[in-house]
Amino acid sequence: MKKIDLHIHTIPTISDSHFIFSIDTFKNYVREAKLDAVAITNHDIFDITQYKIIQSELPIVVFPGIEINVDKGHLLLITNPERVDSFDSRTSKVSQRITKIGDNISYEELVEIFGNLDEYLIIPHYEKSPAITGNTLEKLTRFVTVGEVDSPKKFIRSIKDTEKLTPVLFSDSRMKENLINFPTRQTFVDCGNLSIEALKSSLGDKAKVALSADEGNKLFQLFEDGQKLSTGLNVLLGARSSGKTHTLNKINESEENVKYIKQFALVQQSEEQEFKGTLEKKRSVFTENYLSGLKRVIDQIINIDIEANEQLVDNYVTTLLKAAEDFNRSDVFSKVKLFDEIEFTIGNLQSLKSLIESIRQVIENKEYHNIVTKHLEINSLIALIMELISLLRANHLEIEKKKVVNSLIRDIKSGLRIRTSAVQVEDVDLYRISLDYKAVKKFEKIVEFLKIDSTILKETIQGFTIEAQKRKFAGAGEIKSVSGLKTAFSAVYQLYDQPYQYLRELLKNDYIPRSDLYKFFVKIDYKILNRDGFEVSGGERSEFRLLQEINDSQNYDILLIDEPESSFDNIFLRSDVNQILKDISKSMPVVIVTHNSTVGGSVGADYVLYTKKEIIGGKITYRIYSGYPTDKKLHSIDGSEINNYEVIMNSLEAGISAYEKRRISYEATKN
Amino acid sequence: MKLLKIENNNGFFRLEDGNFKEIDALDKEGLLSLVNWTFDEDEIEYDEFNDSILKNQAHQIIYKSIYNKLRDLRNRRKEYLDETAQLYLADYTKYRDSPRQ
Repeated sequence: MKKIDLHIHTIPTISDSHFIFSIDTFKNYVREAKLDAVAITNHDIFDITQYKIIQSELPIVVFPGIEINVDKGHLLLITNPERVDSFDSRTSKVSQRITKIGDNISYEELVEIFGNLDEYLIIPHYEKSPAITGNTLEKLTRFVTVGEVDSPKKFIRSIKDTEKLTPVLFSDSRMKENLINFPTRQTFVDCGNLSIEALKSSLGDKAKVALSADEGNKLFQLFEDGQKLSTGLNVLLGARSSGKTHTLNKINESEENVKYIKQFALVQQSEEQEFKGTLEKKRSVFTENYLSGLKRVIDQIINIDIEANEQLVDNYVTTLLKAAEDFNRSDVFSKVKLFDEIEFTIGNLQSLKSLIESIRQVIENKEYHNIVTKHLEINSLIALIMELISLLRANHLEIEKKKVVNSLIRDIKSGLRIRTSAVQVEDVDLYRISLDYKAVKKFEKIVEFLKIDSTILKETIQGFTIEAQKRKFAGAGEIKSVSGLKTAFSAVYQLYDQPYQYLRELLKNDYIPRSDLYKFFVKIDYKILNRDGFEVSGGERSEFRLLQEINDSQNYDILLIDEPESSFDNIFLRSDVNQILKDISKSMPVVIVTHNSTVGGSVGADYVLYTKKEIIGGKITYRIYSGYPTDKKLHSIDGSEINNYEVIMNSLEAGISAYEKRRISYEATKN
Repeated sequence: MKLLKIENNNGFFRLEDGNFKEIDALDKEGLLSLVNWTFDEDEIEYDEFNDSILKNQAHQIIYKSIYNKLRDLRNRRKEYLDETAQLYLADYTKYRDSPRQ
C-alpha cells in the first residue's frame, strides 16, 4: 500500500490566509506521516521553480498539480513530473484568468487550456466544500473516477455506496513555518509504481483504496503518532485521571465537525420549565407553520376598519337625508344630473382570471394528459379558453372605461359643490363594506376553531411521544409572556372573546410587531410523554435529551460521548442507547468513554482503546493501548502491550476479584 | 322578500322585524340590513322607482339613490357570493377540520 497526500499548499494565494512556506516543515511532515507521494496543489497557480526545489529536497515522488476554481467548485488537476514544463505553460493561463476572489473558469475553458483531460489525474471536491456538482460534474464524468472527501465518515459512505465515486481523503494543508500538529488525513492506495497512469488505474477500483495500510477501512489514523481509531464503534476505557477526557478533547480538536456530548451535559438543566422552553424553541418551526394560515388572514384583517366603514355608511345616509330635506334649496348647480351621480362600481376580474388559469393548466398538463383527453376534447377546451379570454379582455376594457368616467364624475361633482349651498350626497361602496364585514366574520370563526382544545401534533421519537396541544389563553399573564413585553395585558384580555375587537386593541400597542400578532390568539403547549403515555419525569427528560443529542449527531462526521452512564440506569442504556450508538457507528466513527459494563461490555464495540497513566523514570506519561475486542493483548504505538482481559475487568467490573465475588453473590441470590 | 316599497306617494324601507318605515327615517343600521338582505336572500323585490307615483320629493331623492345602489349590488350578487366563499377558504377549512379532543 502506498500512502499519498495529493492536496498540499505551498504558496499563499488570494484564496488562503497568509502563511510562510517552509521546506523543513514539508520534509518533517513527509517523514512523520511516512508518505510515499505528494502533489503540490496551490490555488490557481503553479510555480515551476519552487516545484523543482521541493522535488529535489523530498525523497519521495512529488507530482506537479494545481487546485482550480471551476464553476462554483474546486478541482485538483495533477500530472506526471516529466511533463512539468508543458504543465507550467498551461497553468499560467489559469493564473491569467483567475486573478481575484470569485473568478473561475468553465469546463470548456478547462479543456481549451489543458487539452486532453485523460492525460491528467482529476480530483474534484466531492463530499467537500466547495464541491463540483451538477452539469460540470456530469461533463467531467468521463475523466473522473475519484472525488475528494473531508472526513473518514464521508470516505466510508462513498466506499459503501456503489453509485458514488472512489473517495480520497487528503490533508489540504499549508506547509507553513512552525507547523506543530501534522495532519492525519491521507489515503492508502494499492498500486505498483507511483505514476499518474498507475494511480488512475488503482483509484478506479474501490477495493484498492483505504484509510489504513493493514486494516483497510476498518481503521483510520487519528493522531499524528499513528494512533488509529475504528471507523465504527470505539470504546475508550481507563481508570480515573488516566487521560480519557483528555483524549476525547484531543480528538475534538484534531477533527472538524465533531459532535461531542460531554459528561453530565444532559442532566445539568433538568428544570421542567427550562426543558419545556428548549422544546418549544426547537419546535417553533412547527408552531409557525401551523399558524401560518392565521397569520395570512390577520395580515388582511388588520387593513379592515369596521368602525371607519360604519362612518362611511353613516355619512352617506346623513347626507342623503339632508339632501332630501333641502331639496327646495336646489339651484342650477345642484340640479345638474351629475351633482348627485354615484360612481360606477368597479368589478373584480380575479375569479375570471383564476378560471382561465385553471383551464390553461388542464390544457398544458403533460403528466395527466391522457386522462384529460379521455374525458375532454382539447379543442373544446381551447375554444372555451379563447372565449373566456375574449370576455376577460372585454371586461377589462369596460373597467378601464368606467375608471375614466368615475374620475370625471369626481371632478365635476367637486366643481359643482363649491358653487352651491345644497348638500351633496357622499358616496359609499357598499359592496366593499359588506365584503369586509363577511371577512371579519370569517376571521372570527377561524379564531373560534383555533381556540378549541385539540392535539395538533403527535410525533414519536424512540419511544417518547412529543405532543403539541392548542388551547385558549388562560389569562392576561400568558399573553404577556408570549409578547415578551413588560406592559400589562389585562385590559386587552377583556376583549379576548371578541377576536376582531381584540385585534384592534392589540394594534394600538406599538411595541407588538404586526408580524407577531398571530401569536396572541391561541396557546400551543408542548409536552413529552413516556412509553406509558404519562408526562416524563426528571430522569426521563434526561433520557429524552440524550436520545435527541445522539440522533442529532447524524449531521456530524464523528460522535464523541463521555460517560453516558453518568445519569442513566442500565436498562435504558442497554435497551435504547446501545442500540442507537451501534446503528450510528455503521455510518460514522463513534467514541464512547465508559466505566459501565452495560455500555462497555454489551455495546458490541469494534475497537477498544485503553488510556493509562504511567510513571516512567519519574515522568508522567499518558499512553493509549488499542486493539480489537477479541484481541488477547492491546498494543500502544511505541510497542508496549497490555492484557485485554485485565483491562476490561479493571475498567468495567472493578477488578477480577470484585467481579468474581459479585458473580458468586448473584448466583446465591438466584438459588 | 320586499325591501323597498311605495305607498300613498311615500317611500318605505324594510326593518329587521319585517315592518316598514318611511324612507326619510333610514339610518346606517337600516341601510346595512338592506344590503345584507340584498346579498343573502334568494328572492328579493323592490317597488320600481317612479317619480309620478312617489310624489314626496324628499322621498324621491332618497328612494332613487337607495334603489339604484341595491339594484347594482344585486347584479353583482354572484360575484359577491364567489368572493365571500373564497375568503380564507384554505385556512378556514384547515382550522375547522383540526382534530378535536
